[in-house]
Amino acid sequence: MTALFKDNHIRFLIVANVAIIIIAALASQGLFLDSYNIKSMAKQLPELGLLAMGIMLAMISGEGGIDLSVIGIANLAAIIAGLTAKTYFAGKEQGLSFMLVFILVALAVGIIAGLINGLLISRVGFTAILATLGTSLIYTGLAVALSGGPAVSLGYRKPFVNIGNGSFFNIPYSFIIFAFAAIAISYLLNRTAFGLRLYLMGSNAKAAHYTGINNKNILLITYTLSGVLASMAGIIIASSASSAKWDYGSSYLLVAILIAVMGGINPDGGHGRMVGLVLAGIAMQMMSSSLNLLGASVFLKNLMWGLLLLLSIVFTSSNLWQGFDILSRRSKSGGSSG
Amino acid sequence: MKKRSLMWLLAAVASLAIIAGIALAQSNYTIITVVKITGINWFNRMEQGVTEYAEATGNNATQTGPAEADPAQQLSIIRDLVARKPDAIAVVPMDPATLEPILAEAMDRGIVVVTHEATNQVNTMYDIEAFDNTAFGAGINEVIANCMGGEGKWTVFVGSLGSKTHNQWADGGIANAADNYPNMELVDAKQETFDDADQAYEKAKEILRKYPDIKGFQGSASTDVVGIGRAIDEAGLSDTVCLAGAGLPSSNVEMIESGTIDGVGYWDPADAGKAMNVVAAMVLDGVEIVDGMDLGIPGYESITLVDGAGEGKIIFGTAMKFANKDNLADHLF
Repeated sequence: MTALFKDNHIRFLIVANVAIIIIAALASQGLFLDSYNIKSMAKQLPELGLLAMGIMLAMISGEGGIDLSVIGIANLAAIIAGLTAKTYFAGKEQGLSFMLVFILVALAVGIIAGLINGLLISRVGFTAILATLGTSLIYTGLAVALSGGPAVSLGYRKPFVNIGNGSFFNIPYSFIIFAFAAIAISYLLNRTAFGLRLYLMGSNAKAAHYTGINNKNILLITYTLSGVLASMAGIIIASSASSAKWDYGSSYLLVAILIAVMGGINPDGGHGRMVGLVLAGIAMQMMSSSLNLLGASVFLKNLMWGLLLLLSIVFTSSNLWQGFDILSRRSKSGGSSG
Repeated sequence: MKKRSLMWLLAAVASLAIIAGIALAQSNYTIITVVKITGINWFNRMEQGVTEYAEATGNNATQTGPAEADPAQQLSIIRDLVARKPDAIAVVPMDPATLEPILAEAMDRGIVVVTHEATNQVNTMYDIEAFDNTAFGAGINEVIANCMGGEGKWTVFVGSLGSKTHNQWADGGIANAADNYPNMELVDAKQETFDDADQAYEKAKEILRKYPDIKGFQGSASTDVVGIGRAIDEAGLSDTVCLAGAGLPSSNVEMIESGTIDGVGYWDPADAGKAMNVVAAMVLDGVEIVDGMDLGIPGYESITLVDGAGEGKIIFGTAMKFANKDNLADHLF
């Protein structure tokens, strides 16, 4: 726990979150803290959060690791799953099978799409940015071709629509899925051999290779996981919109990368915590929702996000905090001698 | 004495209540218009209408919308608005299907929901359409027919065969020519241009080669008149070939002034924005909206009411506008 609070990113993000809550609550005269608004924010966070998680894993793997195809995977998974489930389980009494088939097919598409990314990067040797840029166009193109362009309407089918719209004891289902994914990935990163190897490979691929780590397999698993997380985002987006379309969330990619970077994930690899990513996601969501709540211009939101990122860079650059630590130490020692 | 002071007190309370009642009845509504994209010409013009409405009525009417064209962003803006709980939201959906669950939730929360350009929206109280699409198509065709003198070969383009609106416009034009101008001969109807001016240009060049005696072109996508116009211009046929279609006058000034484009049909987004707000306020006031009603906005003086896709109704105006060389100055915004 104490190690967490020594992390500059975590420190900054905690302060930022508290500041946003206080300012937003005051400015909106308490409306921001209304339970409906909190629930509504909790429904919006998972889509971006899951996409950012996939990008985070790719970034930790190092050597310029990134996954630009997450949106493409999310939409392709939702469209294939939607078309399949609609074809075989369209009946009124088949709501439950519709949902299960949708989820299974979407996850399967996520695994396959992620595997393709992983194979291109680990076996064929493409750089991650080129491989995933290419596949993102292919996945999106496939999504357009399969759906023909317009949205694949899924109808208002329960319990499927509940994933993105419903709640369990006032906690949105989508948020439960997000929390579960965050805990699982966090466990994987911190408590398993895979996590240790991923961090090692990210900080120094050559050294990792000489310690006997199979870098290729680690990369393959990493991008497959990213694909699975993206397809989970796809399921939630499709459910909250009760439809699937190739261009849903097309503006989310940069925001997801922004969340990962602001959460302290090092784009050079080898470093980054799930707690940071979750806190960054919460900060961004609260900022955007509070501005909407106050009726501010949508362009202000982008400006504020950019500002928050710049602030995070300023406040987390180690020099600044080192200076702060030295100063506080000096003042302490000065006090004792005097 | 005591009785009297009690009476005074009661009278004071009653008058206060009445004043408060009047104040409440007049209390301003918060109506938020959510458009597809913020910052483009079309929706800037709509915002002018919304602002004018707010100034005229004292209602707190504002406009918002995503900075990028992304249906998911529009959904999340509306989700935030539903949490804010305004009296009404007026939405121009990027994709009606995406918004069904959240609009249902908004209505459950007691928010009045009005839409525009979304005849297939299930979860709305009123969807407002500037005009009947068939009548609009016939109106454009009338421009061409007049220009052609009611005779000769003509054709009609659509942005895509999948677009319901474009097909209705084209069919309206075809029906108008067939019914009223027996000497107009339709050739190669409904060429697809994929909402792309270059495609329209290529298709128009093909048609000009295939039918050297063609006299009229009708466009559907706003890019059609641009591409067809270029082809006609290059062939030096501006004076002999007639061209009209849907498009914004301000985007086609040059070709309208030169006479290449003989007319563009459009509707004014400012009036559509006002109409949405007027209808939302009427619902809030409990005013019943009936067929033939006057909304007090140009083009919406005698509305047509039909059943919508869900429990709501669709309101059709007659707000089509046609701009040509002679009246262009009145249509620029």
